Order: sequence, then C-alpha cells, then structure tokens
Amino acid sequence: MADIIFELRDVRFSYLGKFPALSGVNIDIKTAEKTTVIGANGSGKSTLLHMLGGLIFPETGVVRAFGEALKESAFDDESFSRNFRRRVGLVFQNPDVQLFCPTVKEDILFGPLQLAMDKSVIEKNLADTVNTLKIGDLLQRSPHQLSVGEKRKVAIASVLLIDPDVLILDEPTAGLDPLTTRNIIDFLIKANASGKTVITATHDLHIVEEISDVVHVFSQDRKIVRSGRPEEILKDSVLLESNNLTHIHAHRHGDRTHMHPHQHLEHH
Amino acid sequence: MGRNKGFIEHSAMDALSFMKDSLLADEYALKKGFLQSLDARVKAATFIFIILQVILARKMVVLLPLYAFSLVLAGISNIRLGFFIKRTWIFMPLFSLFIALPALFSFFTPGDPLVAFGVAGLKLTVTRQGASTVALFVTRVVTCVSYVVLLSITTRHFELLKVLRIFKIPQVFVMTLGISYRYIYLFIGIIENTYLAIKSRVGTRVRYKKGQHIVAWNIGSLWQRSYKLNDDVYKAMLSRGYSGEPVILEEFRIRPRDWLWLFGITVISVLLFILRR
Repeated sequence: MADIIFELRDVRFSYLGKFPALSGVNIDIKTAEKTTVIGANGSGKSTLLHMLGGLIFPETGVVRAFGEALKESAFDDESFSRNFRRRVGLVFQNPDVQLFCPTVKEDILFGPLQLAMDKSVIEKNLADTVNTLKIGDLLQRSPHQLSVGEKRKVAIASVLLIDPDVLILDEPTAGLDPLTTRNIIDFLIKANASGKTVITATHDLHIVEEISDVVHVFSQDRKIVRSGRPEEILKDSVLLESNNLTHIHAHRHGDRTHMHPHQHLEHH
Repeated sequence: MGRNKGFIEHSAMDALSFMKDSLLADEYALKKGFLQSLDARVKAATFIFIILQVILARKMVVLLPLYAFSLVLAGISNIRLGFFIKRTWIFMPLFSLFIALPALFSFFTPGDPLVAFGVAGLKLTVTRQGASTVALFVTRVVTCVSYVVLLSITTRHFELLKVLRIFKIPQVFVMTLGISYRYIYLFIGIIENTYLAIKSRVGTRVRYKKGQHIVAWNIGSLWQRSYKLNDDVYKAMLSRGYSGEPVILEEFRIRPRDWLWLFGITVISVLLFILRR
C-alpha cells in the first residue's frame, strides 16, 4: 500500500448540493504511474482532478493523499498545505484561468514564490523549464498576447516550476495543433520517466495509450465503470461507444465509402 | 443595431477599441530609448518630483524649459513627436483652455489692455495679466500631462503596477489591479464575440426594444462568467500555494544610468529653484 498516493473510496460530490458531479468513485493511484481518466463531457473528470488537487472535498466518502485524509480543515495547517501544494501540481483545463499575472514570467514564478522555495532552486527550475518547453521568448509577454498552445505550455510551466511529485493535467491537448500536442505528450512521458506521477483527464483517445499505464473510464452517470490497461480499454468498443467515447466514422477507400467506429487504435 | 444603430453597438465597440488601444500601448515601452532604459521606480519618483515642480511654478520662464525638457525626453526615447503632441494636447489642455478662457478678459482679470474687440455690441478687452494667467495655466496643464503621458507610455504596465509598491500600497491591492488588467482583455474578447454572434444570427436590424434586451442579457451573462472565472482563478491561485498574502518577484535594479538621471534631475531642480526666486 506504500506506493499508493491517492486512495478514493465511495466519493460523492455535487455542485450547489443539487448537480451531481461524482457519484461514488473508487480509485487507487500509485506512485510514478501514468494514470488517465477518460470520459465524455460533463462526466466528472475535472471535478475528480480538482479533488485530487485539494481544491474541493467530498460530501461523502474518503479521499486519502500520501497516507493522510484529505479534508478541508487539513489545509488550515500551513505546513500541511504548503507541503501538499509542493507535491501536487494541477494544470487547469482553461489556461486563461491559470495565467492571471501581468507577465508570463510572473505567472511562472507565482507558485514557487508563494511556497517560499529557495531562490537558487527557483532560478535553476526556471532555466530548465524554459528550456524544456521552449518558452524563453515568451517570458516578458502578457498572457493575453499568447496563442492557445503557448498559453497551455506556460500553464504547464507554471506548475512544473514547483517541481511537484504529482502532475495533474486537465485536458492538456484540447484545441492544440498536432505538433504542440506531440510536444506535450513527449513532455508527459519524460516527466513520468523522471519519476513523476502523471494524472491526465482527456477525451482524446489518440493520446491515451502513450500517456497511460492505467485508464479509468467515467460513465455519463459520473461513476468509474471500468479501470484497466490502456490496450484493454481501447479495444473494448462496446465500452467506449456506450460512454460516448467513440463515434461512427465514414471515409473513402478509392471509390468506396465505408463506416466504422472511430477508435484511433492504429492508423488506417 | 437597427436605425438607432448603431448607438449601442458603436458605443460598445468604440469603448472596447479605445480600451484595447490604450491598454495595448506597450508599443513605446518596448522600444529602445532613454526613458525605457531607466529603472521604473526611479523614473516614477523623479517624474512625480518634476510634476510637483510644474505645479509650484508661477513663471513661464520655469514652465517653458520644463515643457521643452519633456519634448527632448520624448525625442530621445524614440517617441514620435507628432504622436506625443497629439496625445498630450488633445482633451485635457484644450479642455483647460476652454475653462480658463473667461480669465482673459478684463471683467475677470482687470489690468493693462492688450486687445479690445466687440461681440454683439459687447466690448471685450483682453488684458495682459489675463493672457498671462491663461497661458500659465494651460502651459502648466500641458506640461503635467506631458510628463504623465511620458511615464505611462515608456513604462510597461506591469512595471507601473510594481511601482505602486514604493508608495507602500498593499501587495494585495496591486495584485488585484494586475489581475483586473489581465482579465479586461478576456472580457473584451468575449463581448466582441458575443456581438458578432448576435449579428450573425439576427442581422444588423434589431428594434430598439429588442436591442435593449440583448444588451441587458449580455451584461447578465458577462457577470455570470466573471463570477465563475473569479472562482476558478482563486482555485488556480490556491493550487499554487497562495494563502492570502501574495509574494511576488522583486526585479528592480538601479544601474549607473539611473544614478546619472537622478543627478541630472537634482541639477535641473536647483536651476529651477534659482529661476523661481
């Protein structure tokens, strides 16, 4: 059990007490594992990630992180709060939410400064992150001047600078061009290879196999209906179709048009 | 929209365009020039000092060199003089001239007649003292405006925000201002797109009453979005360790050039003090 970072048992949550978002979720997430949560829009993926990030808390059920119960009251303890924020970094779905400072550099440095990280460590992490994500020329720009892909990279950088053990990413490739998507996938693989636990929510099945050791499938009734290895999950067309994760795709072979479920398991 | 058209749409679009233009005026701040190379704190403090001198000046012989100095500073800071003069003379100085105009005449400022003329049977006399008062007032306004404009266009907005801290304004207010500035863009974008979306669905002819409804709906919708955004941004801050008192990077560095500038301003101030006596 020592290698389990997050443990969720029968977790339920609703917005305003009347819009259910999680309806009895059970998950274990292991250290240095690549975990992906897939599901259609509104199935509860973002809510789950916010819960893992210690931003919202279950109405019923239990969430344990690093062996301790994750409760709102625990964050009143400054040392617990600081320790947790240093160990868990969350990249939000909408980068505009995450980039609130006047310049990219201030945004990237916001986390380490709040967490009172050592200045020399901040400088080293800044140099490494800027180099990894190739965002050196963006540092003095204002976030509103960036493209979606650039914003996404800066949002990742803003979390990466904290050097968390656990990297949580909400739809990291949504709306990105293929090359930027590729860069982000490569980055996630590298981060995991360096020992980080990577938890990603997506409904982009293209990227699931590469970024996952374990996949959890959310159903429309906001429960996890299946967990398993990515190759098993992606092959289960009935499961994917019944959870709005595949569509019927029509295309041409010469003069002939034919239709089949679009699963992205292999190129066709 | 519709025949009245335009009023709401044009007003909204013009306001948005004005905000974008003024907020995007980082163009000059990014150029290489003298004022751009100074430390923002030193620049702001010395400009406030100069503006105080302008306010205290009671002689044209003090004001005119100060105004000429602002033009020289604009020149060596790579600011087009045409743009600078237009920016500084429009509105504030012209408005102050309009206010000060009655002081030209003998019934407000008695003194030595300079010019006399009649309007609709009324004899008006411009006095030497009146002309001098108006000239002094307008020159003072335009000089103050020139330094304020110089400071604002040669300093990036985020540096100006940091400068607020030298006046001991709490960090949380400075940060709130910065965040407001940041999200104005997002909301301008949302408003523009909303108008385009309305236009694409209802065309350009909308009755006045309907137009009012659309605007009211728009305001409500924007409020809801800003409320949601506020919640999300707060979560994003929390997730990166924010605990109520923001800590931000201190990057200002005073260089030899800044000390030279301080020395120059001190010399100028001493000279002005002598001229003022």
